[in-house]
Amino acid sequence: MSEPENPHWLRQVSGELREEVPVRAAWRAKLLDEVARAPRPSPGAGDDETLSDPWASEARRPRRLVLHPLAGLAAAVAFAAVGAATTLAVMTRRAETPARTEVAAAQPASRTAAAPMSDATSDVDIVTFELSAPTATNVALVGSFNRWNPVATPLERDAVTGRWMVSLRLPAGRHVYAFVVDGDITADPAAPRAADADFGTPNSVVLVGGRSS
Amino acid sequence: MKRIALVTFLLIGPGTALAQDRTLPEKLGAPARTTLQRLIDSARVAGLPVDPLYSKAQEGVFRGASDDRVIAAVQRLARELGDARAALGDSASAEEITAASNAIRAGVATADLTRLRDTRAKGRNSNHRLTVALVVLADLAMRGVPPSLAAASVNELVARNVTDNTLISFRQTVERDLVNGRSPASALDARTRSIVEDAERRRP
Repeated sequence: MSEPENPHWLRQVSGELREEVPVRAAWRAKLLDEVARAPRPSPGAGDDETLSDPWASEARRPRRLVLHPLAGLAAAVAFAAVGAATTLAVMTRRAETPARTEVAAAQPASRTAAAPMSDATSDVDIVTFELSAPTATNVALVGSFNRWNPVATPLERDAVTGRWMVSLRLPAGRHVYAFVVDGDITADPAAPRAADADFGTPNSVVLVGGRSS
Repeated sequence: MKRIALVTFLLIGPGTALAQDRTLPEKLGAPARTTLQRLIDSARVAGLPVDPLYSKAQEGVFRGASDDRVIAAVQRLARELGDARAALGDSASAEEITAASNAIRAGVATADLTRLRDTRAKGRNSNHRLTVALVVLADLAMRGVPPSLAAASVNELVARNVTDNTLISFRQTVERDLVNGRSPASALDARTRSIVEDAERRRP
């Protein structure tokens, strides 16, 4: 706001305030001397404690940084490495999270040899299918959960026990299945039989989770 | 243990749970596919579970059955699912209907299925799934136990409100007895009586 735009009363007040206050000459001289003796504040300094801190003043002392090109390149590589390591760590953690869940969930897994029906009440359960076939060279699982596809779910032979096994996450419900042992279809000897021999040998039944009405 | 857990995870993989695929096999001829699809659509409209029907068609193709044989098997299963639903009532779950249809195939009378449903419904606290009882019943009938006897035994155990695990153990012990040469009637009677007496002793 410019001076001419000020109203008359405001100009009058400001003029009176601008007039020098009559102060005794001795007091004035003393005040000016103290101001002159006081340490000059550093740019950006905010309080007296900081002003008196030698470390702070040293840190604020302007420096000239000379960076060799090779050193700069090394710093860039190091920075990129730190970034990559951080990203990798985050991604690894994300990948491991479901793995822990899976392993934890695997603990109550049903084994067809001992407990052919899952007693869990969850909607999805991990079921371990096992078969003792010491002389077999190829064992697969077929059933309502894999379109009866003989190559979809191969069993792995346990080197210690010699048993064939595979673990699957199955939704709650009644599932019908059979093993394919070197091309021959056979029911699970440890599981309940299904009365559904429409095409030859009967199948087996596994119940997973859930609780019926 | 860690190794077992790791192997388990590697075998399982991070994938989602496998589920029933509701498609008909492409190996079926076009006329058979059309017939089966109409059959399945009718079952769906009737409120019957259709997953077993798809599975039956897929199994037939896997086992190398002819198209006509696949159609006959699916038709028969659809009929049994309808009978099972009639026996258990409209409130029965798909799982129960499917298990009951299997019991029917094994020779169990629909009246016995209805009685089993009613017995379970009267239970004070249902420790068991009806599906488990139905699967055990079908299995016993499949193994040569007279269906009426099997139904009576399972019904008695359900009336005692035994747990699912007890029913499963019951099936396993009867099966073991049969393998060892015991007669079905004798094995069934002895194992049923053992569980009933045990339940009586535990009663406060």
